[in-house]
Order: sequence, then structure tokens, then C-alpha cells
Amino acid sequence: MSRLLRLLAYYRPFYAWMALGVLASTATLLANVTLMATAGWFVTSMALAGAAQASMNYFTPAAIIRGAAIVRTGGRYAERLITHQATLRLLSALRVWFYRRLEPLAPAALRDHHSADLLSRIRADIDTLDNVYLRLLVPVFSAVLVGTLLVAYLAGYGLVLAWVLFFTLIAAGAVLPWVVSKMARAPGRRKLALLTRQRAALVDSVQGMAELLVYGAAVGQAERVRQDSRELVAEQSRLAQAQGLSRAGLLWLSSFALWLMLWVAIPMVGQGTLAKPDLALLALFALAAFEAVMPLPQAFQAFGETLAAARRLFEIVDKPPVVKEPADPSPQPRHYGIRFDAVSFTYPGNAAPVLDNMALTLEQGERITIMGPSGAGKSTLVNLLVRFYDPDSGSVTLGDIPLTRFQGEDIRRYFAVVSQHTHIFTATIRDNLLLADPSASQDAIERACRVARVHDDIIAMSEGYDTWLGEAGATLSGGQARRIAIARALLKDAPMLILDEPTEGLDPITATELLDTLDQAAAGKTVILITHRRFRGGRFGEVWTFLDGALVSCSGFDE
Amino acid sequence: MNPAASAEETAAASVWLKAQRPRAGRWVALAIGLEFANGLLLIAQAWFLAKTLNAVVFDDAGLSAVTHWLWAIFCLFSLRALLGWLSEQAAFEAAAQVKLHVRDRLLRHLFMLGPVKLALERSGDLTTALADGVEALEAYYARYLPAMTLMVLLPSSILVVVLPFDWLAAAIFLFTAPMIPLFMMLIGKGAERLNQRQWRRLARMAAHFLDVIQGLTTLKLFNASRREAENIARISEAYRHDTMAVLRVAFLSSLALEFFATVSIALVAVAIGFRLFWGDMDFMPAFFILLLAPEFYLPLRNMGAHYHARMEAIGAAERLVRILDIAPPSIPPGRSPVPELARSTIRYSDVSVVYPDGTRALEGIDFDIPPGERLAIVGPSGAGKTTLINLLLGFVQPDRGRVLVGDTPLDTLDPSVWREQLSWVPQRPHLYAGSVADNIRLSRPEASSADVETAARLAYASGFIERLPQGYDTQIGEGGVGLSGGQVQRIALARAFLCPAPLLLLDEPTANLDRESERLIQTALDRLADERTLVIIAHRLDTVRGADRILVVEQGCLLDRGGHDDLLDRCETYRRLVADFAGRV
Repeated sequence: MSRLLRLLAYYRPFYAWMALGVLASTATLLANVTLMATAGWFVTSMALAGAAQASMNYFTPAAIIRGAAIVRTGGRYAERLITHQATLRLLSALRVWFYRRLEPLAPAALRDHHSADLLSRIRADIDTLDNVYLRLLVPVFSAVLVGTLLVAYLAGYGLVLAWVLFFTLIAAGAVLPWVVSKMARAPGRRKLALLTRQRAALVDSVQGMAELLVYGAAVGQAERVRQDSRELVAEQSRLAQAQGLSRAGLLWLSSFALWLMLWVAIPMVGQGTLAKPDLALLALFALAAFEAVMPLPQAFQAFGETLAAARRLFEIVDKPPVVKEPADPSPQPRHYGIRFDAVSFTYPGNAAPVLDNMALTLEQGERITIMGPSGAGKSTLVNLLVRFYDPDSGSVTLGDIPLTRFQGEDIRRYFAVVSQHTHIFTATIRDNLLLADPSASQDAIERACRVARVHDDIIAMSEGYDTWLGEAGATLSGGQARRIAIARALLKDAPMLILDEPTEGLDPITATELLDTLDQAAAGKTVILITHRRFRGGRFGEVWTFLDGALVSCSGFDE
Repeated sequence: MNPAASAEETAAASVWLKAQRPRAGRWVALAIGLEFANGLLLIAQAWFLAKTLNAVVFDDAGLSAVTHWLWAIFCLFSLRALLGWLSEQAAFEAAAQVKLHVRDRLLRHLFMLGPVKLALERSGDLTTALADGVEALEAYYARYLPAMTLMVLLPSSILVVVLPFDWLAAAIFLFTAPMIPLFMMLIGKGAERLNQRQWRRLARMAAHFLDVIQGLTTLKLFNASRREAENIARISEAYRHDTMAVLRVAFLSSLALEFFATVSIALVAVAIGFRLFWGDMDFMPAFFILLLAPEFYLPLRNMGAHYHARMEAIGAAERLVRILDIAPPSIPPGRSPVPELARSTIRYSDVSVVYPDGTRALEGIDFDIPPGERLAIVGPSGAGKTTLINLLLGFVQPDRGRVLVGDTPLDTLDPSVWREQLSWVPQRPHLYAGSVADNIRLSRPEASSADVETAARLAYASGFIERLPQGYDTQIGEGGVGLSGGQVQRIALARAFLCPAPLLLLDEPTANLDRESERLIQTALDRLADERTLVIIAHRLDTVRGADRILVVEQGCLLDRGGHDDLLDRCETYRRLVADFAGRV
């Protein structure tokens, strides 16, 4: 509940819009009740007047009926426009909120969340929260509002009648959804588990297809998937039974309310405490009233989903940042010498340290090559340099000033990094490059791309630098993506250049050419080259490798 | 609906959906029958209600005089609730039958196509189609199909009942009912296009948001991450402006629907009111008609929702049909007896393979693999090495020439029987969701625990497996414990040890394994290759040195063959490749 309140607090700027939507929905529901009830009263009165040859004012009720029909029609249109307007405003606010909270935590907070599966869960959760207003708030608030008004109106005809409507509405709007959600809980949980299992089996079937076929296991796998599907259908059937109960129960309760009211109202007609036309009014009133609680079972379900989604998102953004920014502005380093001094570091949640008492001194303009298998600590070195993490012990300094005295953004200004998992955004090639320097000229862009040996590839594409990349656009080969990432890093004219596997996915000839041009372009810069391949010629300085979490020089070693 | 789908694809999907209906058996008909009975009972309920009110209002009847009618009403609405519930269950069952059938058929189709034919499809897309795509069909069979029939049945029954009582009300019903679908279609056609464009934009906006989160590390490295917050706000706002402009038009169709349904009820009420006043009509039928008026429009009102369910199902079906349309290998698998590999030579005779895009994968390949040989294949990436192996695995068929086993052409053998003589260790083996033991047992499901452990020991995998939290019962694969590249490789080797097939095919890992893993894998391989035929795509100096014979492949052609030293002497490509191997750590 507190989570829902916290969520609602973020919606504060839109309360007026949200209230307006609820009002429109309420007006629409009330118009329908008015239309039906008045019609019942009108038809009966006209019949009585006709039989008695009496005169009657039929203008007013006929006008009310027409008016209600128009309010109903217009109200539905207004309701849909207003509620969508509010939803879209919320959607924008929610995304910006989540992003602003997430941004300072990255990448450490996302380390556990880098798999596509978890990211798509974040996406689904955000989508769920997008719908909070439409699926949860509007139905609940307008049901409460309409229900209260209708019960109060009935009290004017007789308290017992009001109580009948009150209890049946509560039964239909609160008890029934509660019972149904209780019935659906266990099969719902089993369904989720089965869906996960089925997805895993399908991933295995598709990605592991070759081995399944070679080892003759494909038939068994198909049988397993079929069995899983059957179990899934069995649970879905239980859920359908519960949902069917909610619909059938609602229908039954609305008729039951009418039925009970007849038991109460018919004697009242005999006693003369209820006018005859009002009996017809009450009958149609009762039937129409239940439209208000119709969406509540879904709202009840949405409530649970919302809380779960909010919990998962809050868990992510409530993590404390792993790097503490200093309160003072960053100092100005007098030179760009780097020193790692007795640095030890263990990733949160891991047992073994990645870096253990590591030392490295790198003068300004010096170049080194670091080799070693993945997981040895190469990328950690970069993470510490750009202050994505701080060391557990020991210190890293830039120009003899500890990195912890710098703001993260200021430190990153001094480094141009091509990391192993550099992201290529779904945007044009130009936009991807401009990330490094939004004010870069076309000349500068092309220069960087020539150095990265990717200019020719780009102009060969249909729209050159304006080619759209990613899902809806052209797909790059691994080598092209790599070189665009290099061009991007070069465009950011930083004094220090870190290249993590720059030649991954390139054929040997292009790789050699690339290293040649990089060599020239990086003149005067400090360069850290990380690789698992040996480059002949030693252009990129002394070669180091990791041994038990520390760096050792490879010079003097032979293969 | 998939925005990229053409009109023909949409039509094909619609036809396919209809064609699956018999799979649902009689369940759809049952659902319709039950719901129709429900509708008839509703008419009866309205009749009794009108009778009760008529008695109380005009005959001054007391409660005791109408009690039997009240109890009839109670029975009717209780029965209706039951019928409604049963009808929904029948509708669910109809959809469930289709879902089960379609998923099974799709998966078997994929297995028939094999991994190479599917190489162009993204595996994530295929999985999503099999899981979510099939689920999305439910709405079509459970809701759309029954609703379409009921939309005609229920209003026409009400019309038939109303007509003898009051021709005016019947005329209003008859005149307004077709207006609802008509106007929805008129407004809907234009709105639908706008709507689809809007959905595409929404998808793009959502994708952008996800893209930014995925690339957050990169954004931070370039100090561009704070800038992006404004971008997200701007894009969402622009999206809101466009969407609202579209929705103002799109919601007009719901306005028209609401207008006809509501205004017609008002019209009927006022019309019968005046006929009552003038004495043209009795109260009982008048009230009966008034009760039925909202029920007459209810199925039409729900049309919008069902139409949407259909669109979603068609969108899903488009993907499924596209997969089902990929043709399986044209040559029917033969049934020739499979020669024993331990004594038969495999012969590639003038084999050419062309990729689906028309480029050449292999051209005029000729060579033999005598039993017991250790054959290494080397070549730059994209040279056709994997295709050579895929031919033996039966995933690729030659476009010209033949692969012979002994004297029998490979394509006349039943692939599943032929594959019983193969073991295969791919470059990136797949781990299945399940225990370590299950994963090793893939190659021989009936193997005992002792056999599994022996195989693991031979593959140098037992050491790390025993250190895992639950040993051989540790869950790995999707959702399980993560293993390093070298460990995965050794589990795949254990599979090969467990299944002592006479021909072992192996694609050596190029990923940078740690030295220890590499050494262990090498030793395990030497052990595995004893007394078998070994075909290995080599990426390592030690491997080529230990081979009996080496094939050098470049651009789909067999460049040279021979021993390591000979090739070093005479083949420039081979020299370059070996230099490249040596460069790896």
C-alpha cells in the first residue's frame, strides 16, 4: 500500500487531469442509470395516464431521457480523451523519473540486470505502471463515486432498498473480486512458473537445435514441450474457471439485486409508500447500476500487478550508489600520469577478488598493452579509471590526485574509451558518433571515421552517415560496429585513450591497417591497449599480463 | 498487427486462422450454443419480469400473487449464470486445443528445417513466436469466433420476439443495428491506419527507452547520460501530442457506436411511451421491449473489443505463417541401410553448395576421409569450413555433387539413423535447462550415473562439476548456474565421450579460454580421437601439428591438402593462418 502511495506521489502534477477523467467516467455511468430508470418510470406513467385517460407532463421526462442519452454519448468520448491524455502525461513523467533515478547508479546497479531478459522485465514493469491510471484508478474511483451516489439516491425511496443495493454492490465490486483473486492465486503462480519453464525449453529447442538433432534428442524435446504446454493449459483452464466465475457472479448479483428489491418494493406499492411508476424505475435502476462495478475484477488484478511492478522498480532505483561523489568541485590535475597503488577490488556479491594488490604506473603519453584471458581484470582496470567503481583498498591517482576527489563526470572527460561492450544505439550513424561531441563538424566526423577505417563502409551504405542503425535499420557486422565505436572514441578528443579489443571481428589485413592509423592518430596520447591477441611490432608499448589479480610485465617472456 | 506485414500476408494469416478452426473441434459450437441458450433465457427472464410488474401496476397484485413468477426469475438468472460460465469454459477449451496443436506442429516444423535453414531467423523471434505468438491466438478462438456468430444470433432472436408486439420498436432496432457496424467501419478504416502508425511510434518510443537503458554505460562514458533525460522527456511529449491528435479521430468510432446504441434506446422508450399514452399498446409488451432494448445492442457494443482481439491474433498468425512457409528440404529422406562408419570411407565428390542469397559456399570439393583418420580443416573465417561439417551433419544438402558413405549417397540415408554414428562438439555448445548430469546425458539418455561420471572424468570435467554446489545435480543452462566457456566446452566433450560414435566432428573454440582449460581440452580431445575418425575445424597450432592430414579451404574452394610441414613449405595461405594461430594467446 505504501508503495502505491509513493507511486501516486509521483503523479502529483497530474492530479487535476486524473480527477477530470474520473469525473467524466462518473458522468457517463450516471447518465446510463438515469436513462434507464427514467425510461422505466416514463413508460409506466404514460401507460397509467393512458389507461386513466388523464393528462400528463411528458415533456420533462422525455427531455431527461434525450439529455441522458446525449450526456452518455458525449461523456464516453470525453472520458476516453481525458483518460488517455492523463495516461500519456503520466507515461512521460514515469519514464523520466525512472531514468533520472537510474542514471547515477549505472553501471554498477545494472551489473545484475544486463541480460536481455531482465531488461525486458523492466520494460514490462514500466508498461504496467503506465496503465495504473486507466486500469486501476479510474474504475475504482468512479465505482466508489457512482455507488455512493446511487445508494444515497435509493435511500430516498426506502432505507431497505438502499441497503440491498449497497450490499450487492459491495459483494460484486469487492467480495467477488477478492474471492476470485484468491482462487486464481495458486494457479496463477503455477502458470508463471510453467511459462518460465516452457520458455526455457523453447529456447533450448531453438538455440540448441543442432545438438538435439545430432544426438537424436529432438523428438524427446518436442514431447517435453508438448507435455509442458498441456500442464500450462491445465493451469490456464483453472484460471479461466476463476475468471468465468467473476463474470457469471457479476451477472448473477445484478439480477439478484433487482430480485431482492422487488421483494421489498412490491409490498411498498400495496401499502401506498411507493408510487407505481417508481417500481419500474427501481427495477431498471438496479440493473443499470452494476455497470459501475463491471471493471473492478480487472482493477483488482491490476492492483496486484502494479504493486509487484512498483516493488521491482523501486528495488532497482533505491540501491545506494556504489561510488560516492565528493562534495567539493573536482581539482585540476597538473599532468595526466596514472598510478595504481596496491589496488585490491572485489565485485559486490563475488567471493574472489579480481584485483589483488595491483600496481601500475603510467606516465603521460606512455603506451602499454595488457593481455590476458577474459575475467582476469582487464575491464575492471577501466571501470576503476573512469570511476564506475572505487577500489576496496589502495588508491588510483591521476596527476598524483586520488580519483575519489574527482566528480565522476569530470574524470570521464579525460578518457576516451572503446569498451568491450560498447553500445551502438538505434539511431543514425551520425547520431551515434555525435554522442562523443554534439558540436562536432562533418569534417571532424569523417576524419575520425577514416582513422577508424570505417568511412568507406559508411559511404557505401544507402544513406551514408544518415543510415539508421539497429532494429529498424541496417545491421552492422561485428567489425563495423567495433570501428564505429573506435571512431566515436576518437571524436572525443581526450588525452587518454583506452582500447579494449579494438580489432575484434576484423580480418588480419584490416586489423593491421587500423592499428597503423591508430598509432598515428594517438600521437602524444596516453594509450592503454587491451587484447588477447599478440600484435607484432610492439607499437603499443610494453606488454603486461595479469597473474593472480596483479599486473606483471611480459617482456623477457617467450611464448 | 505487424506493421511490416503486407496486405497479402494479413489475408494469408486470416485464412490460416480460419483453417485451424476444425482443431477446436465442437468446442466453439458448444460455446455458441450455450451462450445462445443463455440469450433465450434472458428473453424469458425479461418476459416474467414484465409480467410481474404488469400484475403489480395494473392488476394491483400483492407479493403473494407474483411469488411464483419471482421464483421463476430467480431460477432463470441462476441458470443463466451457470450457462454463461460453461460457455466460457467451452470457449477456452476450443482455444486450448488449437494452441496445443499449433505449438507442437511449429516445433516439429522447426526441427524438420534444421539449424542451417533457420540461421537467418533470429532465435529470440522464433522463441517468442512459439511461446507468446501461439498464446495470442487464444482470443481469436475463445472470444472472436463465438462473438461473431452471437452478434447475429442474439439480436435477431430479440427482433423476432419483439416484432409481433410492436412493429415500431422492431423497426427502430432493425434500422439502427446495421448503422453501428457501418459507421464503425467508415470511421474505423481511416482510424485504423492512423492507429497502426501510432502503435509503431509507441513501439519505437518504448524501444528507444530500452535502448537508452541498455546503453547507459556507454552514455556515461561520454558524459551524455544527463543530456539523455531531456531527450526522453522530449520524445515522450512529442509522442503524446501526435497520439492525442490521432485519438481525437480514432475515438469517433466509439462515439458513433455509443450514439446509436444509447440514442436508439431513448428513442424506443419515448416511442413506446407515447403509444401507451394513446392506448395503442399494452404495458406488458411495452415494458418487455424496454427491458430487451439494452440487451439488443450489447453484442454490437462489444464488437470493437472483439475486432481488436482479431487484429492481435492476425498479427501473431502472420509471424507463425511466415515460419510455417519456410520449406523443409525438398529431397525426402531416404531409407537405405546405413553403412558401418568404422569400415567405410566418406567421400566428397565434386560437392558445391550455394547459400540462400545466391553466393557460393563451396565449389567443387573433392576429398576422402578414410576410417580412423584425424583430419583438420583450416581456412580464414567465411571460407566454408562449417558448411563442410554441416554437410556431414545433414543440416545442408549439396546443390551439386554428392557426399558418399562407402558407396551409399548420404542423402538416401535416414538422417536420424545416420546421426547415430556421429558425435559433435560445436564451437559454442548449448547448455540445456536442467542438471549437469541431464546435459551430459543428452547424447545417451539411458546412461547410468556411473557412465556419466566416467565420461565427465575423461573430459576433465569431473573436477569442476564436483565443486559445484550440488555436484552433478546442479541446475545449469537458462536460469541456472553460469559456467565459463572452458567448462561448457568440457561438458560438451563429456557428451561426446558418453556416446562412443565412430565419427567425431569438432569445431574448435576460438574464444579466449584460460590456459588451464585449453590444456585440459587438448588432452581430452587426444584421448577422444583414439580409435575414431576425427574431423576438426582447427584454430590452434597444436591441433594442426597433431593431425594426419590438413585441408586448407579458402573462399569455398579446397586450396591444398597434406601434412603440416609440406603445407608450410608450399602453401602461402596456410603459412598466414599458422602465423595467425601463433598470435593467439
